[in-house]
Amino acid sequence: MKKLLAATLGILSAVGGFVDIGDLVAAGQAGARFGMAHTWVLLLGVVAICAYADMAGRIAAITGRAVFDLIRERLGARVALVNLAASYLVTVITLSAELGGVALALRLATGVPYLLWVPLAGAAVWLVLWRMRFPLMERVFGLAGLALVIFAVALFWLPTDWAALGRSAVAPSEAGQGWGAYWFIAVALFASTVSPYEIFFFSSGGVEERWSPADLADARFSVLVGFPIGGFLALSLIATAAVVLRPAGLSVESLDEVAQPVVLAFGAVGLAVAALAFFAVTFGAALETGLSAAYAAAQYFGWQWGKRVSPREAARFHTVLLVSVLLGVLLLFTTVDPVALTEYMLIISAVALPLTYLPILIVANDRTYLGDRVNGRALNLLGAVLLLVILAASIAAVPLAIGTRMGQ
Amino acid sequence: MRIQVSRELLDRQLVDADGRLVGKVDDVEFALGPDGVPYLRALLSGPGALGLRVGGRLGRMMVLTAERFVTDRPMAPLRIPYALVERVGSAVRLRIRAEELATPPVEAWLRRNLIGRIPGADRASG
Repeated sequence: MKKLLAATLGILSAVGGFVDIGDLVAAGQAGARFGMAHTWVLLLGVVAICAYADMAGRIAAITGRAVFDLIRERLGARVALVNLAASYLVTVITLSAELGGVALALRLATGVPYLLWVPLAGAAVWLVLWRMRFPLMERVFGLAGLALVIFAVALFWLPTDWAALGRSAVAPSEAGQGWGAYWFIAVALFASTVSPYEIFFFSSGGVEERWSPADLADARFSVLVGFPIGGFLALSLIATAAVVLRPAGLSVESLDEVAQPVVLAFGAVGLAVAALAFFAVTFGAALETGLSAAYAAAQYFGWQWGKRVSPREAARFHTVLLVSVLLGVLLLFTTVDPVALTEYMLIISAVALPLTYLPILIVANDRTYLGDRVNGRALNLLGAVLLLVILAASIAAVPLAIGTRMGQ
Repeated sequence: MRIQVSRELLDRQLVDADGRLVGKVDDVEFALGPDGVPYLRALLSGPGALGLRVGGRLGRMMVLTAERFVTDRPMAPLRIPYALVERVGSAVRLRIRAEELATPPVEAWLRRNLIGRIPGADRASG
Protein backbone atom coordinates (compact mmCIF):
# COMPACT_ATOMS: atom_id res chain seq x y z
CA MET A 1 0.00 0.00 0.00
CA LYS A 2 2.76 2.35 0.99
CA LYS A 3 4.62 1.48 -2.17
CA LEU A 4 1.55 2.15 -4.28
CA LEU A 5 1.20 5.56 -2.65
CA ALA A 6 4.85 6.41 -3.31
CA ALA A 7 4.48 5.37 -6.94
CA THR A 8 1.34 7.50 -7.32
CA LEU A 9 3.14 10.51 -5.87
CA GLY A 10 6.08 10.02 -8.23
CA ILE A 11 3.70 9.84 -11.18
CA LEU A 12 1.94 13.02 -10.05
CA SER A 13 5.26 14.86 -9.97
CA ALA A 14 6.10 13.62 -13.45
CA VAL A 15 2.71 14.72 -14.84
CA GLY A 16 3.12 18.12 -13.16
CA GLY A 17 6.59 18.45 -14.64
CA PHE A 18 5.46 17.61 -18.14
CA VAL A 19 2.56 19.93 -19.03
CA ASP A 20 3.25 23.67 -18.93
CA ILE A 21 2.44 26.92 -20.75
CA GLY A 22 4.44 25.77 -23.78
CA ASP A 23 2.22 22.69 -24.17
CA LEU A 24 -0.98 24.68 -23.65
CA VAL A 25 -0.07 27.20 -26.35
CA ALA A 26 1.62 24.86 -28.84
CA ALA A 27 -1.02 22.11 -28.51
CA GLY A 28 -3.86 24.65 -28.81
CA GLN A 29 -2.33 26.19 -31.93
CA ALA A 30 -1.53 22.84 -33.50
CA GLY A 31 -5.12 21.64 -33.03
CA ALA A 32 -6.77 24.90 -34.06
CA ARG A 33 -4.78 25.17 -37.29
CA PHE A 34 -3.84 21.63 -38.34
CA GLY A 35 -6.22 19.30 -36.54
CA MET A 36 -4.51 16.15 -35.30
CA ALA A 37 -1.74 16.43 -37.90
CA HIS A 38 0.95 16.92 -35.19
CA THR A 39 0.11 13.78 -33.21
CA TRP A 40 3.32 12.05 -34.30
CA VAL A 41 5.40 15.02 -33.08
CA LEU A 42 3.92 14.74 -29.62
CA LEU A 43 4.49 10.97 -29.52
CA LEU A 44 8.10 11.41 -30.66
CA GLY A 45 8.61 14.07 -27.97
CA VAL A 46 7.24 11.80 -25.26
CA VAL A 47 9.58 8.97 -26.34
CA ALA A 48 12.52 11.41 -26.34
CA ILE A 49 11.84 12.86 -22.90
CA CYS A 50 11.32 9.36 -21.44
CA ALA A 51 14.56 8.01 -22.92
CA TYR A 52 16.68 10.95 -21.79
CA ALA A 53 15.04 11.29 -18.37
CA ASP A 54 15.83 7.61 -17.88
CA MET A 55 19.52 8.27 -18.67
CA ALA A 56 19.68 11.38 -16.48
CA GLY A 57 17.99 9.52 -13.62
CA ARG A 58 20.42 6.61 -13.88
CA ILE A 59 23.40 9.01 -13.91
CA ALA A 60 22.02 10.80 -10.83
CA ALA A 61 21.40 7.57 -8.92
CA ILE A 62 24.78 5.98 -9.62
CA THR A 63 27.17 8.96 -9.51
CA GLY A 64 25.20 11.26 -7.20
CA ARG A 65 25.82 14.06 -9.70
CA ALA A 66 23.23 16.18 -11.48
CA VAL A 67 23.24 17.06 -15.17
CA PHE A 68 25.01 20.41 -15.08
CA ASP A 69 27.81 19.07 -12.87
CA LEU A 70 28.63 16.62 -15.62
CA ILE A 71 28.19 19.13 -18.45
CA ARG A 72 31.11 21.07 -17.01
CA GLU A 73 33.25 17.97 -16.46
CA ARG A 74 32.68 16.67 -19.97
CA LEU A 75 32.69 19.91 -21.98
CA GLY A 76 35.37 21.78 -20.03
CA ALA A 77 35.09 25.02 -18.06
CA ARG A 78 34.89 27.38 -21.03
CA VAL A 79 32.41 25.65 -23.33
CA ALA A 80 30.27 24.76 -20.32
CA LEU A 81 30.20 28.44 -19.29
CA VAL A 82 28.78 29.38 -22.69
CA ASN A 83 26.32 26.49 -22.30
CA LEU A 84 25.37 27.78 -18.85
CA ALA A 85 24.74 31.29 -20.18
CA ALA A 86 22.49 29.93 -22.95
CA SER A 87 20.67 27.45 -20.70
CA TYR A 88 20.12 30.08 -18.02
CA LEU A 89 18.71 32.53 -20.56
CA VAL A 90 16.32 29.94 -21.99
CA THR A 91 15.21 28.79 -18.53
CA VAL A 92 14.54 32.33 -17.27
CA ILE A 93 12.53 33.17 -20.40
CA THR A 94 10.58 29.95 -19.80
CA LEU A 95 10.03 30.98 -16.17
CA SER A 96 8.71 34.32 -17.39
CA ALA A 97 6.33 32.60 -19.83
CA GLU A 98 5.08 30.32 -17.02
CA LEU A 99 4.46 33.34 -14.77
CA GLY A 100 2.56 34.90 -17.67
CA GLY A 101 0.55 31.67 -17.88
CA VAL A 102 -0.29 31.85 -14.16
CA ALA A 103 -1.46 35.44 -14.66
CA LEU A 104 -3.53 34.47 -17.73
CA ALA A 105 -5.14 31.60 -15.81
CA LEU A 106 -6.06 33.96 -12.98
CA ARG A 107 -7.49 36.44 -15.49
CA LEU A 108 -9.53 33.65 -17.01
CA ALA A 109 -10.95 32.86 -13.56
CA THR A 110 -11.51 36.43 -12.32
CA GLY A 111 -11.58 38.81 -15.31
CA VAL A 112 -8.97 41.02 -13.62
CA PRO A 113 -6.30 42.14 -16.19
CA TYR A 114 -3.36 39.73 -16.25
CA LEU A 115 -0.67 42.36 -15.68
CA LEU A 116 -2.05 42.99 -12.19
CA TRP A 117 -1.57 39.30 -11.40
CA VAL A 118 2.05 39.19 -12.61
CA PRO A 119 3.73 40.64 -9.49
CA LEU A 120 1.50 38.54 -7.23
CA ALA A 121 2.34 35.40 -9.19
CA GLY A 122 6.07 36.21 -8.97
CA ALA A 123 5.87 36.84 -5.22
CA ALA A 124 3.87 33.65 -4.63
CA VAL A 125 6.33 31.54 -6.65
CA TRP A 126 9.28 32.98 -4.76
CA LEU A 127 7.58 32.46 -1.39
CA VAL A 128 6.86 28.81 -2.15
CA LEU A 129 10.48 28.31 -3.22
CA TRP A 130 11.70 30.06 -0.07
CA ARG A 131 9.50 28.39 2.49
CA MET A 132 7.33 25.47 1.46
CA ARG A 133 8.15 21.80 1.58
CA PHE A 134 8.79 21.30 -2.07
CA PRO A 135 7.73 17.66 -2.64
CA LEU A 136 4.36 18.52 -1.12
CA MET A 137 3.82 21.45 -3.49
CA GLU A 138 4.96 19.38 -6.43
CA ARG A 139 2.30 16.76 -5.66
CA VAL A 140 -0.46 19.29 -4.98
CA PHE A 141 0.18 20.97 -8.34
CA GLY A 142 0.59 17.63 -10.10
CA LEU A 143 -2.77 16.48 -8.72
CA ALA A 144 -4.54 19.75 -9.60
CA GLY A 145 -2.96 19.60 -13.06
CA LEU A 146 -4.75 16.30 -13.66
CA ALA A 147 -7.90 18.44 -13.89
CA LEU A 148 -6.77 18.87 -17.52
CA VAL A 149 -8.44 15.49 -18.03
CA ILE A 150 -11.64 17.52 -18.45
CA PHE A 151 -10.43 18.17 -22.01
CA ALA A 152 -10.49 14.45 -22.73
CA VAL A 153 -13.94 14.19 -21.11
CA ALA A 154 -15.19 17.11 -23.22
CA LEU A 155 -14.13 15.24 -26.31
CA PHE A 156 -16.61 12.47 -25.44
CA TRP A 157 -19.29 14.95 -24.42
CA LEU A 158 -19.12 16.94 -27.65
CA PRO A 159 -20.37 15.43 -30.94
CA THR A 160 -16.86 14.43 -31.96
CA ASP A 161 -16.34 12.86 -35.39
CA TRP A 162 -13.82 10.26 -34.22
CA ALA A 163 -13.19 8.83 -37.66
CA ALA A 164 -12.22 12.23 -39.09
CA LEU A 165 -10.06 12.91 -36.04
CA GLY A 166 -8.27 9.60 -36.48
CA ARG A 167 -7.76 10.19 -40.21
CA SER A 168 -6.13 13.57 -39.68
CA ALA A 169 -3.81 11.99 -37.08
CA VAL A 170 -2.48 9.24 -39.36
CA ALA A 171 -2.39 11.26 -42.58
CA PRO A 172 -0.93 14.67 -41.67
CA SER A 173 -1.68 17.48 -44.11
CA GLU A 174 -0.91 21.20 -44.15
CA ALA A 175 -4.64 21.99 -44.27
CA GLY A 176 -4.20 24.98 -46.57
CA GLN A 177 -1.94 26.75 -44.05
CA GLY A 178 1.35 25.97 -45.78
CA TRP A 179 4.05 23.44 -44.86
CA GLY A 180 6.28 26.18 -43.41
CA ALA A 181 3.71 26.92 -40.73
CA TYR A 182 3.18 23.18 -40.23
CA TRP A 183 6.85 22.58 -39.48
CA PHE A 184 7.10 25.73 -37.38
CA ILE A 185 4.34 24.40 -35.09
CA ALA A 186 5.97 20.96 -35.16
CA VAL A 187 9.28 22.38 -33.85
CA ALA A 188 7.47 24.43 -31.17
CA LEU A 189 5.42 21.44 -30.01
CA PHE A 190 8.49 19.21 -29.92
CA ALA A 191 10.43 21.82 -27.90
CA SER A 192 7.55 22.14 -25.43
CA THR A 193 7.60 18.37 -24.91
CA VAL A 194 11.35 18.01 -24.32
CA SER A 195 12.02 21.28 -22.39
CA PRO A 196 15.56 21.08 -20.94
CA TYR A 197 14.35 22.29 -17.54
CA GLU A 198 12.42 19.04 -17.11
CA ILE A 199 15.75 17.17 -17.29
CA PHE A 200 17.65 19.60 -15.00
CA PHE A 201 14.84 19.39 -12.50
CA PHE A 202 14.44 15.63 -12.64
CA SER A 203 18.13 14.87 -12.21
CA SER A 204 18.67 17.49 -9.49
CA GLY A 205 15.65 16.14 -7.61
CA GLY A 206 17.16 12.67 -7.81
CA VAL A 207 20.44 13.90 -6.34
CA GLU A 208 18.65 15.85 -3.63
CA GLU A 209 16.53 12.86 -2.63
CA ARG A 210 19.73 10.77 -2.58
CA TRP A 211 18.58 8.13 -5.04
CA SER A 212 20.67 5.00 -4.95
CA PRO A 213 20.75 2.35 -7.67
CA ALA A 214 18.03 0.59 -5.60
CA ASP A 215 15.62 3.53 -6.15
CA LEU A 216 16.22 3.46 -9.86
CA ALA A 217 13.34 1.15 -10.75
CA ASP A 218 10.84 3.42 -8.96
CA ALA A 219 12.22 6.57 -10.60
CA ARG A 220 12.08 4.93 -14.00
CA PHE A 221 8.53 3.73 -13.36
CA SER A 222 7.21 7.19 -12.41
CA VAL A 223 8.77 8.73 -15.51
CA LEU A 224 7.62 6.03 -17.88
CA VAL A 225 4.06 6.34 -16.59
CA GLY A 226 3.91 10.05 -15.68
CA PHE A 227 5.33 11.56 -18.87
CA PRO A 228 3.03 9.56 -21.18
CA ILE A 229 0.03 10.63 -19.03
CA GLY A 230 1.21 14.21 -19.53
CA GLY A 231 1.48 13.47 -23.24
CA PHE A 232 -2.07 12.12 -23.26
CA LEU A 233 -3.33 15.34 -21.62
CA ALA A 234 -1.49 17.41 -24.24
CA LEU A 235 -2.97 15.23 -26.97
CA SER A 236 -6.49 15.84 -25.65
CA LEU A 237 -5.74 19.60 -25.79
CA ILE A 238 -4.86 19.23 -29.47
CA ALA A 239 -7.96 17.14 -30.11
CA THR A 240 -10.44 19.53 -28.46
CA ALA A 241 -8.89 22.45 -30.33
CA ALA A 242 -9.21 20.45 -33.55
CA VAL A 243 -12.88 19.68 -32.87
CA VAL A 244 -14.03 23.09 -31.60
CA LEU A 245 -11.62 25.87 -32.65
CA ARG A 246 -10.68 24.66 -36.13
CA PRO A 247 -14.19 24.52 -37.67
CA ALA A 248 -14.91 27.96 -36.18
CA GLY A 249 -11.68 29.33 -37.65
CA LEU A 250 -10.48 30.51 -34.22
CA SER A 251 -6.77 30.85 -33.47
CA VAL A 252 -5.11 30.77 -30.05
CA GLU A 253 -4.43 34.33 -28.87
CA SER A 254 -4.63 33.65 -25.13
CA LEU A 255 -5.66 30.84 -22.79
CA ASP A 256 -9.33 31.78 -23.30
CA GLU A 257 -9.39 30.03 -26.66
CA VAL A 258 -7.60 26.98 -25.26
CA ALA A 259 -10.37 26.72 -22.62
CA GLN A 260 -13.14 27.32 -25.16
CA PRO A 261 -13.95 23.64 -25.86
CA VAL A 262 -14.63 22.80 -22.20
CA VAL A 263 -16.66 25.99 -21.79
CA LEU A 264 -18.73 24.88 -24.76
CA ALA A 265 -19.19 21.42 -23.24
CA PHE A 266 -19.67 22.23 -19.55
CA GLY A 267 -20.27 25.99 -19.28
CA ALA A 268 -19.11 27.84 -16.16
CA VAL A 269 -18.05 24.63 -14.40
CA GLY A 270 -15.85 23.78 -17.36
CA LEU A 271 -14.31 27.23 -17.27
CA ALA A 272 -13.55 26.91 -13.54
CA VAL A 273 -11.95 23.48 -13.92
CA ALA A 274 -9.91 24.60 -16.94
CA ALA A 275 -8.71 27.74 -15.13
CA LEU A 276 -7.71 25.64 -12.10
CA ALA A 277 -5.81 23.19 -14.31
CA PHE A 278 -4.04 25.99 -16.22
CA PHE A 279 -3.11 27.65 -12.94
CA ALA A 280 -1.76 24.42 -11.46
CA VAL A 281 0.38 23.38 -14.42
CA THR A 282 1.85 26.85 -15.03
CA PHE A 283 2.49 27.53 -11.34
CA GLY A 284 4.12 24.12 -10.93
CA ALA A 285 6.26 24.73 -14.01
CA ALA A 286 7.22 28.20 -12.73
CA LEU A 287 8.57 26.56 -9.55
CA GLU A 288 10.51 24.02 -11.57
CA THR A 289 11.97 26.51 -14.04
CA GLY A 290 13.02 28.88 -11.23
CA LEU A 291 14.77 26.06 -9.43
CA SER A 292 16.31 24.74 -12.65
CA ALA A 293 17.87 28.12 -13.47
CA ALA A 294 19.47 28.23 -10.02
CA TYR A 295 20.48 24.53 -10.16
CA ALA A 296 22.35 25.08 -13.43
CA ALA A 297 24.35 28.04 -12.07
CA ALA A 298 25.10 26.38 -8.71
CA GLN A 299 26.14 23.10 -10.32
CA TYR A 300 28.45 24.83 -12.79
CA PHE A 301 30.24 26.80 -10.07
CA GLY A 302 30.10 24.07 -7.40
CA TRP A 303 28.03 26.15 -4.94
CA GLN A 304 25.96 24.57 -2.22
CA TRP A 305 22.41 24.15 -3.58
CA GLY A 306 19.14 22.55 -2.67
CA LYS A 307 16.38 22.63 -0.11
CA ARG A 308 18.02 20.42 2.51
CA VAL A 309 20.23 23.22 3.81
CA SER A 310 18.97 26.57 5.11
CA PRO A 311 18.94 29.45 2.60
CA ARG A 312 21.72 31.16 4.62
CA GLU A 313 24.03 28.25 3.88
CA ALA A 314 23.20 28.39 0.16
CA ALA A 315 23.20 32.18 -0.22
CA ARG A 316 24.45 32.23 -3.81
CA PHE A 317 21.92 29.61 -4.90
CA HIS A 318 19.05 31.52 -3.28
CA THR A 319 20.29 34.81 -4.76
CA VAL A 320 20.15 33.33 -8.27
CA LEU A 321 16.63 32.01 -7.51
CA LEU A 322 15.46 35.43 -6.34
CA VAL A 323 17.09 37.26 -9.26
CA SER A 324 15.61 34.78 -11.77
CA VAL A 325 12.06 35.29 -10.49
CA LEU A 326 12.60 39.07 -10.56
CA LEU A 327 13.88 38.90 -14.14
CA GLY A 328 10.87 36.82 -15.13
CA VAL A 329 8.48 39.40 -13.66
CA LEU A 330 10.38 42.32 -15.24
CA LEU A 331 10.25 40.69 -18.67
CA LEU A 332 6.44 40.52 -18.40
CA PHE A 333 6.32 44.16 -17.26
CA THR A 334 7.55 45.14 -20.73
CA THR A 335 3.88 44.23 -21.57
CA VAL A 336 5.08 41.57 -24.01
CA ASP A 337 2.11 39.34 -24.81
CA PRO A 338 2.55 36.12 -22.74
CA VAL A 339 1.40 33.90 -25.63
CA ALA A 340 3.86 35.56 -28.04
CA LEU A 341 6.55 35.25 -25.35
CA THR A 342 5.76 31.53 -25.11
CA GLU A 343 6.17 31.13 -28.88
CA TYR A 344 9.56 32.87 -28.83
CA MET A 345 10.55 30.84 -25.76
CA LEU A 346 9.76 27.58 -27.58
CA ILE A 347 11.86 28.56 -30.59
CA ILE A 348 14.83 29.61 -28.45
CA SER A 349 14.64 26.42 -26.41
CA ALA A 350 14.49 24.38 -29.61
CA VAL A 351 17.78 25.98 -30.65
CA ALA A 352 19.34 25.23 -27.26
CA LEU A 353 18.14 21.60 -26.97
CA PRO A 354 21.41 19.89 -28.03
CA LEU A 355 23.28 21.75 -25.27
CA THR A 356 21.45 19.61 -22.72
CA TYR A 357 20.86 16.37 -24.57
CA LEU A 358 24.25 15.73 -26.18
CA PRO A 359 26.22 15.73 -22.87
CA ILE A 360 23.66 13.36 -21.30
CA LEU A 361 24.12 10.85 -24.10
CA ILE A 362 27.92 11.12 -23.78
CA VAL A 363 27.96 10.62 -19.99
CA ALA A 364 25.42 7.80 -20.19
CA ASN A 365 28.07 5.92 -22.21
CA ASP A 366 31.04 6.78 -19.96
CA ARG A 367 32.22 3.76 -17.96
CA THR A 368 34.35 5.88 -15.63
CA TYR A 369 31.07 7.26 -14.27
CA LEU A 370 28.59 4.44 -14.68
CA GLY A 371 30.69 1.25 -14.70
CA ASP A 372 28.59 -1.47 -16.31
CA ARG A 373 25.37 0.56 -15.99
CA VAL A 374 26.11 2.42 -19.23
CA ASN A 375 23.44 2.53 -21.96
CA GLY A 376 22.61 -0.73 -23.67
CA ARG A 377 22.72 -1.00 -27.44
CA ALA A 378 18.98 -0.51 -28.00
CA LEU A 379 18.82 2.62 -25.82
CA ASN A 380 21.94 4.01 -27.52
CA LEU A 381 20.41 3.51 -30.95
CA LEU A 382 17.19 5.18 -29.80
CA GLY A 383 19.15 7.97 -28.09
CA ALA A 384 21.24 8.61 -31.22
CA VAL A 385 18.21 8.73 -33.52
CA LEU A 386 16.42 11.08 -31.12
CA LEU A 387 19.51 13.25 -30.93
CA LEU A 388 19.42 13.58 -34.73
CA VAL A 389 15.79 14.71 -34.45
CA ILE A 390 16.79 17.19 -31.72
CA LEU A 391 19.63 18.52 -33.90
CA ALA A 392 17.28 18.87 -36.87
CA ALA A 393 14.76 20.80 -34.74
CA SER A 394 17.56 22.99 -33.38
CA ILE A 395 18.93 23.83 -36.84
CA ALA A 396 15.51 24.35 -38.45
CA ALA A 397 14.02 26.47 -35.63
CA VAL A 398 15.36 29.92 -36.55
CA PRO A 399 15.06 29.61 -40.37
CA LEU A 400 11.45 28.41 -39.90
CA ALA A 401 10.66 31.22 -37.47
CA ILE A 402 12.03 33.86 -39.87
CA GLY A 403 10.73 32.23 -43.04
CA THR A 404 7.17 31.91 -41.74
CA ARG A 405 7.24 35.07 -39.58
CA MET A 406 6.59 33.03 -36.44
CA GLY A 407 4.26 30.59 -38.14
CA GLN A 408 1.91 32.95 -39.96
CA MET B 1 48.38 6.84 -6.76
CA ARG B 2 48.15 7.61 -10.47
CA ILE B 3 45.61 10.23 -11.44
CA GLN B 4 44.97 12.08 -14.67
CA VAL B 5 44.67 15.69 -13.52
CA SER B 6 42.80 17.05 -16.53
CA ARG B 7 40.37 14.13 -16.82
CA GLU B 8 39.72 13.05 -13.25
CA LEU B 9 40.41 16.12 -11.14
CA LEU B 10 39.80 19.42 -12.94
CA ASP B 11 36.19 20.69 -12.89
CA ARG B 12 35.10 18.06 -10.35
CA GLN B 13 32.85 18.90 -7.41
CA LEU B 14 34.57 19.38 -4.01
CA VAL B 15 32.61 17.78 -1.17
CA ASP B 16 33.49 18.18 2.52
CA ALA B 17 33.49 15.42 5.17
CA ASP B 18 29.78 16.04 5.89
CA GLY B 19 28.72 16.01 2.25
CA ARG B 20 28.47 19.82 1.90
CA LEU B 21 29.37 21.28 -1.50
CA VAL B 22 32.51 23.39 -1.16
CA GLY B 23 33.19 24.43 -4.77
CA LYS B 24 34.79 23.01 -7.89
CA VAL B 25 38.38 22.10 -8.61
CA ASP B 26 38.88 25.23 -10.71
CA ASP B 27 42.66 24.81 -11.04
CA VAL B 28 45.55 22.90 -9.51
CA GLU B 29 48.97 23.92 -8.23
CA PHE B 30 52.17 21.96 -8.73
CA ALA B 31 55.41 22.38 -6.75
CA LEU B 32 58.92 20.92 -6.97
CA GLY B 33 59.87 18.46 -4.23
CA PRO B 34 63.34 18.48 -2.61
CA ASP B 35 64.37 15.79 -5.12
CA GLY B 36 63.40 18.03 -8.03
CA VAL B 37 60.35 15.93 -8.92
CA PRO B 38 57.14 17.95 -9.39
CA TYR B 39 54.14 17.00 -7.27
CA LEU B 40 50.53 18.11 -6.96
CA ARG B 41 50.56 20.55 -4.05
CA ALA B 42 47.07 22.04 -3.86
CA LEU B 43 43.62 22.29 -5.42
CA LEU B 44 42.44 25.83 -6.18
CA SER B 45 38.81 26.88 -6.10
CA GLY B 46 37.06 30.19 -6.72
CA PRO B 47 36.14 32.61 -9.50
CA GLY B 48 39.68 34.05 -9.57
CA ALA B 49 41.21 30.69 -10.50
CA LEU B 50 38.33 29.73 -12.79
CA GLY B 51 38.41 33.07 -14.62
CA LEU B 52 42.10 32.63 -15.44
CA ARG B 53 41.48 29.13 -16.78
CA VAL B 54 38.44 30.15 -18.85
CA GLY B 55 40.47 33.07 -20.18
CA GLY B 56 39.48 35.72 -22.68
CA ARG B 57 36.82 38.34 -22.20
CA LEU B 58 34.43 35.83 -20.60
CA GLY B 59 36.97 34.89 -17.93
CA ARG B 60 37.84 38.52 -17.17
CA MET B 61 34.15 39.39 -16.86
CA MET B 62 33.69 36.59 -14.35
CA VAL B 63 36.63 37.75 -12.22
CA LEU B 64 35.51 41.39 -12.32
CA THR B 65 31.96 40.45 -11.28
CA ALA B 66 33.22 38.38 -8.36
CA GLU B 67 35.70 41.08 -7.30
CA ARG B 68 32.86 43.55 -6.73
CA PHE B 69 32.08 41.57 -3.59
CA VAL B 70 35.55 41.68 -1.98
CA THR B 71 37.79 44.42 -0.62
CA ASP B 72 41.23 42.86 -1.07
CA ARG B 73 42.03 42.46 -4.75
CA PRO B 74 43.15 40.51 -6.65
CA MET B 75 40.91 37.80 -5.34
CA ALA B 76 42.79 34.87 -3.82
CA PRO B 77 41.38 31.43 -4.62
CA LEU B 78 40.57 28.93 -1.90
CA ARG B 79 43.71 26.77 -1.59
CA ILE B 80 43.21 23.19 -0.42
CA PRO B 81 46.42 21.19 0.21
CA TYR B 82 46.20 17.92 -1.68
CA ALA B 83 46.92 16.04 1.57
CA LEU B 84 43.37 16.95 2.69
CA VAL B 85 41.82 14.96 -0.16
CA GLU B 86 40.31 11.73 1.10
CA ARG B 87 39.38 10.17 -2.23
CA VAL B 88 38.69 11.07 -5.84
CA GLY B 89 35.59 9.63 -7.44
CA SER B 90 32.73 11.28 -9.32
CA ALA B 91 33.44 14.04 -6.75
CA VAL B 92 36.56 15.01 -4.79
CA ARG B 93 35.92 14.15 -1.15
CA LEU B 94 37.82 16.14 1.52
CA ARG B 95 38.85 15.02 5.02
CA ILE B 96 37.85 18.30 6.63
CA ARG B 97 34.57 20.16 7.15
CA ALA B 98 33.52 23.27 5.22
CA GLU B 99 33.63 25.36 8.43
CA GLU B 100 37.39 24.82 8.65
CA LEU B 101 37.86 26.41 5.22
CA ALA B 102 37.47 30.11 4.46
CA THR B 103 33.90 31.00 3.35
CA PRO B 104 33.98 32.11 -0.31
CA PRO B 105 33.81 35.95 -0.35
CA VAL B 106 30.77 36.20 -2.65
CA GLU B 107 28.85 33.70 -0.50
CA ALA B 108 29.82 35.61 2.66
CA TRP B 109 28.76 38.96 1.19
CA LEU B 110 25.37 37.69 -0.03
CA ARG B 111 24.77 35.89 3.28
CA ARG B 112 25.48 39.04 5.25
CA ASN B 113 23.77 41.61 3.02
CA LEU B 114 20.93 39.85 1.23
CA ILE B 115 19.82 36.31 2.01
CA GLY B 116 20.58 36.42 5.76
CA ARG B 117 18.32 39.46 6.11
CA ILE B 118 15.21 37.78 4.75
CA PRO B 119 13.03 36.25 7.51
CA GLY B 120 13.25 32.47 7.60
CA ALA B 121 16.77 32.29 6.17
CA ASP B 122 17.97 29.99 8.94
CA ARG B 123 15.47 27.21 8.45
CA ALA B 124 15.82 24.49 5.82
CA SER B 125 12.47 23.78 4.21
CA GLY B 126 13.29 20.15 3.33
